[in-house]
Amino acid sequence: MTPVRPLLFAFGLVALLLCCGGASAADVAAGKATAEGCAGCHGADGISQMPLVPSLAGEPDYFIQWQLVFFRGGSRKNEVMGPIAEALSDEEIRNLGAYYASLPPPKPQPAPTSDALAQAGAELAAKHRCQVCHGNDYSGSGPTARLAGQREDVLLKALRDFKSGARVGSGVSSMADVVYGLSDDDMRALAHYMATRP
Amino acid sequence: MSLGAKLKIGPAMIVAATAAVGVAGMLLAGAAQADKLIRYDANSKNFWLHPPGDWYMGGETEELKGTDFAKTLPPPTGFTRAEVEARLKNIKLPPGFKIEIYASGVRSAREMALGDKGTLFAGSFTGGIVSAVVDEGGKKVVKTILKGLRMPTGLAFRDGALYVADIDKIYKYANAEDNLDHMPAPTVVYDDMPPYTTHGWKYLAFDKNGWLYVAFGPPCNICLPPTSTAQVRHINPANGLAELVAIGIRNSVGGDVDPRTDQYWFSENGRDWLGSDIPSDKLNHIARMGEDFGFPYCHGGDIPDPDLAMGHKCSEFTPPVFKLGAHMAPLGMKFYTGDQFPADYKDSIIIAEHGSWNRHQYQGGRLVRITVDPDGKNAKQEVFASGWIGPNNKYLGRPSDVLVAKDGSLLVADDYNSAIYRISYSK
Ligand code: HEC
Ligand code: HEC
Repeated sequence: MTPVRPLLFAFGLVALLLCCGGASAADVAAGKATAEGCAGCHGADGISQMPLVPSLAGEPDYFIQWQLVFFRGGSRKNEVMGPIAEALSDEEIRNLGAYYASLPPPKPQPAPTSDALAQAGAELAAKHRCQVCHGNDYSGSGPTARLAGQREDVLLKALRDFKSGARVGSGVSSMADVVYGLSDDDMRALAHYMATRP
Repeated sequence: MSLGAKLKIGPAMIVAATAAVGVAGMLLAGAAQADKLIRYDANSKNFWLHPPGDWYMGGETEELKGTDFAKTLPPPTGFTRAEVEARLKNIKLPPGFKIEIYASGVRSAREMALGDKGTLFAGSFTGGIVSAVVDEGGKKVVKTILKGLRMPTGLAFRDGALYVADIDKIYKYANAEDNLDHMPAPTVVYDDMPPYTTHGWKYLAFDKNGWLYVAFGPPCNICLPPTSTAQVRHINPANGLAELVAIGIRNSVGGDVDPRTDQYWFSENGRDWLGSDIPSDKLNHIARMGEDFGFPYCHGGDIPDPDLAMGHKCSEFTPPVFKLGAHMAPLGMKFYTGDQFPADYKDSIIIAEHGSWNRHQYQGGRLVRITVDPDGKNAKQEVFASGWIGPNNKYLGRPSDVLVAKDGSLLVADDYNSAIYRISYSK
């Protein structure tokens, strides 16, 4: 089948629209301004100092956006983030995604030189091939989260939430199926390993 | 006897020891391994209940390698009204027709349903929401009326109530239009449904007597499916009774009752990874109870499955009324019952083709019109609206459903642009 032959004007227009992943150009400065309202929990530079609150710095743009869309639509359930995301417009979500993606990621949690738990985590990560989706350095991409350097308590809670069904991710089938074969000890080892990755 | 023995599973179906364990759902990008072709054995309950995130990639071939469902997903927040407006300039229609935005920001819009008081409801594919579009002083306002569902793709409206199909339940929301800002708690009208999310998203169509036709997709690209799936049921939401009316059906998320006969017609998506130009997607018609449309043995009406045919011939099954072409992805469809369009549109079928993912050069991304006799004879197709696949093989939108509005114009849902369009005609 031959592709639709574009009119010249349409071509120019389309090229313009598609240049940046299709969405309108995001405004990092505006994202930064909106993010002031998030800093109380997620940290001034997107690096969280608070238990069970994720760091957002260096997360992929689309990961941030999707999670906010999921909170807003209620498919990711959280009493704190639900109402916050409800108040955000599409434009604000795009700007927040661009802003947090532009920040330097958190430094890894210091680990003891001989770290048996991290070693166990490394083996599990290889066995379950976390890198296929999360990237070789676990920095994430597209809708997939950065894991490297994330808070250990946050990672462990996320894995447990996927396991219990409290978090369903994309709603089709998701991390829930990755964690299906993991025990709680496995999840603790994985969380520790990822938190200590640079 | 094990399934494997019964099915004579060939080497192509054996799970590679290294098959991705992971699952990221359909949102993940590029789970595919660079070197190996992905293989899954989809013939087990464990696979159906815990599909790998890239379940749809199992069966990868050299020819189609590089195609990936995840690459055809829109960005998380869709597009602005101005962007959608600009994209509509690319759409071609027959003379006398025009297309405009009815509403934008209708997130991930799938099946639509029209309320008696003029509310337009739309289900969604991602995000778990149901939207309503209402007219407020000539302005279309979009509200999120239901949240936190799983995949509420299928909607229907009858006697003041909104019906929503969400994977394994059909919910009824009474007096929906009077309660858009505080939707009532639903009642579950039917739940004898399998739990599988893969191809578990649904489409609802009422017949004249208030029974619903609902297709149940198989939880795989290709497998000997669980006996609760790959079928169409006829369900009475008033008492939860159901009858099984047709089997051998792959993923169907579009269908309508013929205004001439009250019989059910439906679109069906063919299996993936057989080739760029095979098998054809189908338009089917259930003329009598118990028909078998061939899945998983025969595809497109003429191609025995290379692994699963198990000796069956295509001639054993009900053929399609019309072969729509490979990888067109026909979704929502309706008989045109309005009076606004030219007379020969009456009772013809308009189908929303979502467009390919499992093909290097996408096709579909358009609306087609089929004129056909009530008995399925003399089917003819013409392209009604096209142009959602732009230059460079990029989607400029993906039609997911159509609905005839009260004034006879045609509403079109687009889950890629998160928009509803209105196509109208004047001489
Ligand atoms: C009152 C504290 C609080 C505030 C303020 C807050 N958040 Fe959160 N946020 C949380 C908590 C707690 C979680 C973890 C939720 C969970 O456990 O599922 C979270 C999770 C998130 C996540 C998901 C990250 C991940 O790794 O899963 C994103 C994205 C996010 N918040 C963005 C924001 C943005 C943007 C703002 C400001 C507009 C904001 N948050 C304001 C507490 C807060
Ligand atoms: C098939 C792809 C895939 C594989 C394999 C995979 N993940 Fe994920 N993971 C995702 C996606 C996509 C998300 C984010 C979307 C979501 O919420 O579901 C995610 C999210 C997560 C999160 C939550 C992060 C946050 O900040 O919210 C954790 C933790 C995680 N994954 C850990 C792992 C571990 C550990 C492994 C290996 C055992 C793994 N993942 C394997 C796709 C994958």
